[in-house]
Amino acid sequence: MRNFLAFIRRFRVLLFFALLQGIALTILFTFSTFPRSQYLTTASTISGTVMDWRNDFTKHFALSGSNKKLQRENKWLREELTINKLALLSPMGVDSVVLTKDDFIQRFQYIPGEIISSTFSRRNNYFTLNIGKKHGVERGMGVISDEGVVGVIHNVSEHFSVMKSCLAKDINVDVMISSSREPGLLKWDGRDPRRGSMIGVSNDRSIKKWSKIVTGGKSGIFPRGIPVGKVEKTAPVEGQPIWDVTVLFEENFRTVQYIYVVKNILKSEQELLEETIPDDPIEDE
Amino acid sequence: MNKILSHTLRFVLFLFIQVIVLNKVELGAGTLMMIYPLYIMLLPVEINVFLLLFLAFALGISIDSMSNTYGMHASALVLMAYFRPIIFKAFAPRDGYEIDLEVNVHNMGYRWFLRTFGILLLIHHFWFFLIELSRFDQILYVLQKTVLSLPLSFGLCLLLQFLIIRRPARGGGV
Repeated sequence: MRNFLAFIRRFRVLLFFALLQGIALTILFTFSTFPRSQYLTTASTISGTVMDWRNDFTKHFALSGSNKKLQRENKWLREELTINKLALLSPMGVDSVVLTKDDFIQRFQYIPGEIISSTFSRRNNYFTLNIGKKHGVERGMGVISDEGVVGVIHNVSEHFSVMKSCLAKDINVDVMISSSREPGLLKWDGRDPRRGSMIGVSNDRSIKKWSKIVTGGKSGIFPRGIPVGKVEKTAPVEGQPIWDVTVLFEENFRTVQYIYVVKNILKSEQELLEETIPDDPIEDE
Repeated sequence: MNKILSHTLRFVLFLFIQVIVLNKVELGAGTLMMIYPLYIMLLPVEINVFLLLFLAFALGISIDSMSNTYGMHASALVLMAYFRPIIFKAFAPRDGYEIDLEVNVHNMGYRWFLRTFGILLLIHHFWFFLIELSRFDQILYVLQKTVLSLPLSFGLCLLLQFLIIRRPARGGGV
């Protein structure tokens, strides 16, 4: 016992250092994969408020650009309205199939918000949004802008939320090549905020340069067909029958400011149904 | 009392400069300018080691909570604070440190400051970028980030000392 006490006394500085270092590293390696609380992130009220002030001050510098973007998006949406379209007669002789509003149910809803803090040159880049639980944001929802996919919500508090952007490790958005419907996963290697990569495309398919990459919509986080980027180049992966596809992001993560959080109203229904799939079909026989 | 107040004010000042200004200045290539290690450097030489480590942890975790880095700044700053007494001992002046003399660049001279703070900042930056990437096969990228960020941070820390600390009346360094 006396030896033990002597040991502690002798190494007390080192032990205290190890304790603090241990706490810091534990936070790093547990919270970054699954945040247990909103504290210690910008989703907390104090940090969120500070970021909000800062954004209130700096957002005016980008105002004219943001306005132009919104106007362009509005123009596109306006043109999509049915009143601006002429119904085409179907060639089969059937005059038309009238679809009214009642023939659809809403699947995705969009919650508008603003990015109040962002980085783009760290290994994992988190953005802070000025909307939270109160506005209906939940962990795991997708985030898009008028240009394309931005990221996935990581952590939510009452009035703020933190999202993991596409510029992060393990972002794993399910994407596909628009023309060939070849599926894959989106990754980021931590270097260039303009480029990511898509993995999982088997190398017996040829991929055209500059073909569009869009969301696959299978996971139910994003609707199908939201733009992600373009194929810049493909390279073979050594020892594996897949392509390493370099993706030039559609989104400019340095300037993105106004975003929409994608709320999938039917997600719980989809998840419930998918839970009934047996884990390992071989064991089931 | 006066000293405690001034160090508390500095704590807040360094925290906000880092979070509100420097975290947003991204020059690309993964660089990050970090000025808050200077706070730990400028604490009194005779400070209790436990208090030193605790202050490092507190400042680091405050910066982490405002930049979503989850303990990375805290870890790097605690490591730097742990090495501070060791480095100070190794580079001690011939007659030891003067009591109540702040170890800033004016009082200690450029050569001393470059060596001690340079080494401490190197430890801090290297550890920060190492755990940021947390992969040993990307060690070259860690080194690239460290080598590019280090002169920027050091230069900024030097500049800040000319701005916030008054030069002693006796003129010039030691």
